[in-house]
Order: sequence, then structure tokens, then C-alpha cells
Amino acid sequence: MTTPADTALNSGYYTREFDRIQREFDSTGDGKVTARARADLVDAVVRAHYHLHLSAHGAPSENFCVVALGGYGRQELFPHSDVDLLFLSENNHILTNLRSEMAALVRALWDSGLRISNAPRTLAECGELRQDNIEFSISLLDCRHLEGDLSLFRRLREQVLPHLVARDRSDLVRRLLDLTEGRRAKYGDTIFHLEPNIKETPGGLRDYHAARWLAVITELDKAAHWPEPQDLWPARLGAEASSAFEFLAAVRSFLHYRKGRDDNHLTYELQDEAAALGIGAQPPSALLPEDWMRLYFRNARSVDRLLNSLLDEAAPPRTSLYGMFQDWRSRLSTQDFSVVRGRIYPRQPTAAFQEPNALLSMFEFSARHGLELSGEAERRVTDALPHLKEETLRASGLWELFRRVLIAPSASQAVMTMHRLGLLDALFPEFRAIDSLVVRDFYHRYTVDAHSLLTLENLDRLRRPKEKTEPEGWDQKFAEILEELEKPELLYLALLFHDVGKGLLPGDHVRGSLEAVERVFERLSLIEEDRETVRFLIRDHLIMSSTLLRRDIFNTETVREFTERVGTTERLKMLCLLTYADVKSVNPEAMTPWKAEILWQLYAASSNFLTRNLDEQRLQPGEEDKHRVARVVEGLAGSADPTEVKEFLTGFPRRYLLTHSPKEILTHFEMARRLKANPIQVRLDFRQHFFELTVLMHDRPFLFASLTGTLTAWGMNILKADAFANSAGTVLDTFRFADLFRTLELNPSERERLQQSVSDVLAGRADFHALLRGRLHAQAVRPPKVRVPTRVHFETPPSSPTTRPGALRSTVLEVITHDRPGVLFEISSTLADLGLNIEIALIDTEGQKVIDVFYLTSRGLPLDARLQAQVGNALLQKLR
Amino acid sequence: MTKLEAIIQPSRFDLVKDALLQIGVGGLTVSEVRGHGRQKGHTEVYRGSEYTVDLLPKIMLEMVLPDRDVDLVAKAILKTAKTGNIGDGKIFLTKIDEVIRIRNEERGEAAL
Repeated sequence: MTTPADTALNSGYYTREFDRIQREFDSTGDGKVTARARADLVDAVVRAHYHLHLSAHGAPSENFCVVALGGYGRQELFPHSDVDLLFLSENNHILTNLRSEMAALVRALWDSGLRISNAPRTLAECGELRQDNIEFSISLLDCRHLEGDLSLFRRLREQVLPHLVARDRSDLVRRLLDLTEGRRAKYGDTIFHLEPNIKETPGGLRDYHAARWLAVITELDKAAHWPEPQDLWPARLGAEASSAFEFLAAVRSFLHYRKGRDDNHLTYELQDEAAALGIGAQPPSALLPEDWMRLYFRNARSVDRLLNSLLDEAAPPRTSLYGMFQDWRSRLSTQDFSVVRGRIYPRQPTAAFQEPNALLSMFEFSARHGLELSGEAERRVTDALPHLKEETLRASGLWELFRRVLIAPSASQAVMTMHRLGLLDALFPEFRAIDSLVVRDFYHRYTVDAHSLLTLENLDRLRRPKEKTEPEGWDQKFAEILEELEKPELLYLALLFHDVGKGLLPGDHVRGSLEAVERVFERLSLIEEDRETVRFLIRDHLIMSSTLLRRDIFNTETVREFTERVGTTERLKMLCLLTYADVKSVNPEAMTPWKAEILWQLYAASSNFLTRNLDEQRLQPGEEDKHRVARVVEGLAGSADPTEVKEFLTGFPRRYLLTHSPKEILTHFEMARRLKANPIQVRLDFRQHFFELTVLMHDRPFLFASLTGTLTAWGMNILKADAFANSAGTVLDTFRFADLFRTLELNPSERERLQQSVSDVLAGRADFHALLRGRLHAQAVRPPKVRVPTRVHFETPPSSPTTRPGALRSTVLEVITHDRPGVLFEISSTLADLGLNIEIALIDTEGQKVIDVFYLTSRGLPLDARLQAQVGNALLQKLR
Repeated sequence: MTKLEAIIQPSRFDLVKDALLQIGVGGLTVSEVRGHGRQKGHTEVYRGSEYTVDLLPKIMLEMVLPDRDVDLVAKAILKTAKTGNIGDGKIFLTKIDEVIRIRNEERGEAAL
């Protein structure tokens, strides 16, 4: 009579049964049942060969057994997964004596078509935590008896392993976390891969198993018996993850059958096929590939959320230093939020979170301190979502709340959490268009939403000092540009929405993004100037990378065309950083040092062009500037005589139009019209974070120095300044300054007095020197925190073919020095004392660094070498 | 067989690639490289600091061709990569003794 064991030994048995299981999978699509059926099949084959090669050859019935490990032990053996076996004995000599029999068994199993991985181990060895093979200890957590001495197996499972876990639990957890974090980091810590490996990427099967192991390790020594991991998981997250496992099991079975090997890479082609077959869908039905991938990401997100929740609970303090750090973070607690083990716990009642203010304050807190939300905090967010209404959001001053998140050092972390919890979609429904959206191309590795969020993360990384040590220091250079931005929040906003058009208008995603962002502007009540900046960044988000790759960036004409499209230094900085973040977020290898270098070179060349070529970029009444001037006239909407406006604009650098709104230009124009009645026009405006002084009058010697001297005498710290002159000799100087002592803020009447003081100095009715000496003396005692070495650089641009005959040519002087009160007065008075005329001035302060650019002439001509040396020496002496 | 290495301006890469595809060049290796020939480098000043642009960015194309195709491919590269300015790059040609396809150990032109 033929026994089942004989049948299992028949040649072709395994293959026939394997095919039968595949046919069942093809008809039911149930991956979990498939994996179980293959485990049962392999059990039968292993048992039959055990009897043939070990029992029949004198293997002892005691003190030796064969154990299934890993996925095979869990009875989740996918069609082409390896079969992990443990040959277990208490005595090493038994294992030694059976070496040839065990080898015969393994050979026979290989010949049957199984990929066997085997380990002979003593019981004592199984009880050790091997630092060099932690995976073996983890695989023991899924051990299952196959054949041989059952009591020996029970000693392993009921004594040795619980003892190992109890003794080395924290070490085991730490190593498991290291393995998990290392693996996830390899895949960019995101579930959103366009062609994911469904076992290894975050949210995949390995994460599901890690969640099982963490639960078992945490509870094994507390429970009287081996716990069921699912019973230990948080109920809702656990149920979602279990359902996700069934989906992933179906997909993995499908992949193994289609590829004929243990390859878990979900390629585009197989996505199409899986979608057409409705693999894993309940009920199984054909789907579009993008919809099927959204199903995949939804399931991966469930696994990811479960694992993250368990990782948070499991993370042990690694060192006393780490413990101290965690303890220090707990001191960040406020009246609204507690910080426990690096997580935020809300202190306000649940109802408070129905207000956008409370919700976004929590994310601002998270972004400011780099803290994650606790499970409780996350629940408050998800519970609040149904209560968020459009009108409440508008009334709450949403932009100011969101802006505070975006300017914080860990903005990306907070925004990613907002996205994960559904808050980002609730605030900006436009973002839903790219949720888990797969757009297939050769270069992108992530879904569109993940790519967009990664751009924010790559900017945040630039802000962190510890990561400013990339090879060749390119990241350091981009980090410096980021530090200089006036409104980094606009760059972050543009990056967040730059690709939403891919889900709205796939054929012209830039237009789609621009249309969508208009609705975002409305919801945020963004001011027009900021809207225009974000529009520019989205509209032109590809021009810098296309210029890099398709144009000769060392050609002046390329730089000229590019900068004319960009317009201002501030926009250039933002576009450069946007390009950096966008390319870097395509895939981990996309931003090569080569690309980073040429990006920075184009940036530097364009920045130099914008500040050193203003002489050639003056507005003319002719054909070339007709449209530029017409746009301004149109913007003034009939409030001024077009001919007069054109006359006023003629001779100003084109930069003037780019750095001032039509409203500001109208103000300047009206001031110019009043010059006949009052030859010194002074205006003071309070902006959001600074004051702005505008002076319009006919040029005269010492004008710029007098203005800087007066402001310094009043204790004002000049942050930025522009000085331009038009063809009629009217000078327009604007100064942005910080009111260091809050004189103007606390005493509104002083604003009038400052304007009067400026007028008096310019009219020669008052002398600022006495007051200035007292002020500088009082402030000079403070040493600078950071000393920026003083540098002076001259450049006289050669005449180019486009230079108009008779056009004024200046020498460009760039002065870099450390910031301190009165520094601009020191520079400008030095230039005035040497009899130089300042044709244009661009004054900038970036942190502790002053970057001043002056276009200088001496008697209407550029400075010769001798005069340049004299000016350089005088400045270096003064600024020493 | 001949190995063709071409150093070209990055801005000409798309044109060259399209031209090569059009004449049926199958295998191609592309690298981002830096270097200089006669073009040399130059010094720039940014924010008062000098930086030297001595190694300029280039694209290197490598391909191994049957001898009969070398002229056609070289002409296609010359036509599309040339701007007439210094820095357009160079083409290097080297004789190749043997090619072996790793997958199936095919040899000679069949392995190209």
C-alpha cells in the first residue's frame, strides 16, 4: 500500500502539487491560503525525506528534531520563498554524527525543487543572542516543530526562547529596530515608491512581520504562553494591518508566479497585469493601474502606521546620554502640550482641536522642535477633521498659522504628518489630486505626493548643521542661500503645490498647478505680492534645470536670457533652491555632485549678472522696453498720465520694475510730481517686520551718505537699500531698516520727527554728525558675535555690442563685511569723501554679513586702476 | 570593432542622443564628467570670494561599434555636438580586440 509519505517522495509530486496550488490561486486570488497550502506541501515533502534520510539511517528518536523557521515556521510560504530549517539537538556530537544524513536530506529537498536554507544548532546556541546573526534569533520567534523529538522542541519554545527574550529583550528590540530602520532608510523611509519591492519597502511584508516580532518580544515574558501578535496590536490599526497583509500576500503570490522566482519587485508591467486581474481587490475586479496602485498604497499605509505606532512604544533609551536628551525634550512642555519621550501630548480638551488655531499650533510646535505626535495627539487630529469648515478656515487666518509651520526647522516632518493624517487634504483639497499618484517615467522613484513632500524634507536637511558636510560642500552653499531668503515660506508653499497639476491636468501639469494654486491663495488670503512670487516659482519651476542641461551656462547670452526671465536676486535664490530640492527628490541619486556644481555655477553667474549689469539694464523709451513700461501704465489703471509715467521711468534700472509693485511705482511717481512744490520728498511706511523710508529728490553730492548717517544717528539698523536715478537726474532711495530700540513703534509721533529730521539734513538745515558720533560711540562697545572678513572687489564691465552709444558706464564695487551699526554710513561717507558718485546702490544684509554693491563713477567715468586701489585701501582701513 | 569615446558639451547631449538613436546606435554609456582641454578654466568672484572654474562640466559618451558604423556615428556626433566654439569636446577612437556578453558569453560583434 502507498503511504502519503511514499507519495510525497515520488518524483514530480512537488511540482504537480505546486501547479495545483497555483491553479487555485489563479481562480481564487487568495494569497494567504496559497502561502499556507505551500507550507503544508513542503511539510509533507520534508517529513517524507526526513523519514527516508534520517529516521531510516539511525537518527535518534530523542534529542534531535527538525524545526521550521521564519515564514515557513509561520506557515506563510509564498510560491518561491526559501525554506528555512533548523536541525536541533541538545548535544553537539549528535549534530556532528548526523552531518552526512542531514546533508542527504537537504540535497534531496533541493532536488525536489525547494530552495533550502538550513542551520544545525544546539539548544544552548539557540539561547544565545548572536550579535553577528541577529536574524537567526528573530527567525526562531516563528519556530514550528516538523519531525523528531517533540519534547526537545518544547524546551526550545517554552524555556529557551522565553528566557532569551526576557534576558536580552532590550538588546533584541534595539537590534530589530536597527535592522528595520536601516532597511526602511534604504528605501527612503517612504511607502510611496513607483515600483515598490512589496516585501522590503516601508509598508511591505517585512514591516508587517517586524510588527509581529515587536509585539511578541514585548509580551513574551509577561504572558504564560506564546501570545498571538495580532491580539497585542492596537485594535483598529491591527485590523487594518491584518487586512493589508491579505492584500500583500495576494500580490506577493502573484509576483512569484509571474516571475518564477522570489522577486518581489512590483514593476509597471506587473502593476498593469495585477490591476487588470484585480489582484488583492475585494471583491476581485479589474481596476485601472493608477487606482490599483492607490489600493496598494492604502494597504501599505496601514502596515506602516501599525509599525510606526509599535516602534514608538518599543524604542528603548539607548544610552544615558540619549535618556538625558529625551528628558531635556520633556522640558519643552508648555501649557498646551506635554512632551513625553519625544512625543507631543495635547493638554487641551478634544473640542479645542475643532479650531484650526489649536490644530495648526500643535503642528507648529512639532515643526519647531522636531517632535512627533503621540497616538493621542493623532487621534485628536483625525477626530477634528470632519469639523473643519471652509469658512472657519478662512476666518482663522490660515496663512499665518500655516506659515509658522513652514518657517520652522522641521517643517517637512510636520507637513508629512499632516498629510498622513488627512489634515493637509482637508486644508487644501487640491493636494488630493496627487495622493498616491503614480506617474510613470524613467527617473522618478516616488509617487507625486511623496516627491513633493520630499522636496520640503530636502530643504529642511539644508537647515540642519550636522548634514552640511556633503562631499564637495555643495549642500553647504545651497544652505547659505536658504539662510538668506526673506520669505522661505513662499518657497515651501510653491514646492508643496508645484506638481499638483500632474493629477489635474496631466498634459500640462504646470498650468494645472497654477490653476489649483489660485484656489489655495484664496483660502490663505495671501497678499498679491506673495501670490506673484509663488506663481513665478510654479510657472518656471523647470527653467533652471532645463537651462542647465540644454544651454551653455558659461555663455553670457544664456545667463542674460535666464536672468531676464527670473528678474530679481530673491527670486533667483528661491528658484535655485526649488531646482535643487526638486531634482534631489526625484530619486536618491539624481542630484549628483556634477549637477549640484553646475546648478550653483549658474546661480552664481546669474546672481553676479543681476547685480553687476544694471548699467546696461536701464529702461529706455524705445522698442525694447515698450512692453515693460506699457505693463506698468496698465497696472496704474488710468491713475496717471502715461507720458509722464514714461518720462519718470526712463533711465531707472529695469530691476526697479521688478522689485516694486504698481502701487509703489504710483506712489513714487506722485512723489516725483510733488518735487516742484517741495524738492525733498520723504515718506515712511511701516511694513510687517520693518520700516521703509523712501526719499525722492534731485541728485547732489553726499546724498546717500547723509541718509545713511541720519538713519544711523536715529539708531536704525539698515537691512536693505536701493539707490536709483532716472535720466532726469531724480534720485530714488529706499531704505528698509529695523527699529532696534522700538523708538518708532512705541512712539508714533517720532515717525513724523524722523521724516522731518531726514528732510532737514538733506536741505542743509541740520547736521547729523554730532548725534551720530554719540550713537556710534555708545554702540561701538559691543563686539560682533561673528566677524565676517572684509572684502572689496572692483569690476568694470566692458562695453558690449548692446551698450548704447554714450551710455553711462560705471565701476561696480562690491563690499562684504560684518554687520554693525553705522557700517553703511562708514562705506558711503568714504566713497563721498573721495568725490565718487553713487549711480546705483544695492544694499543687503544677510545674517551677520553685509553685502553692498555700488555703481560708481568719478566725473562721469568708470574708476581707473589707481583710483580703485585708493578706494579699496580707504575702505579696508575704515572697516578694519 | 572600435570603441568611440566622445566628450561633449552638456547642452548638446539631447541633440547627440537623438541623432544616435535615429541612426540606430543601440548601446551607449553616458557619464557626467569634468575636465578641460584648450578651453581651460576661468576665475569668478561671488560675494567677494574668488572661485576657480577650472574643470568644466562635460558629458562623456562611450560606445563600442562595428568598424563599418564608426564613420556614420562620428559624423552624427560631429554634426550635432559642434557649436564652433572652444570647448565643443573631442572624439577618441580605439580598436577593440574582443567583446563578451556576460549573460550568455556570446563574443564578437554579436555581443554588441
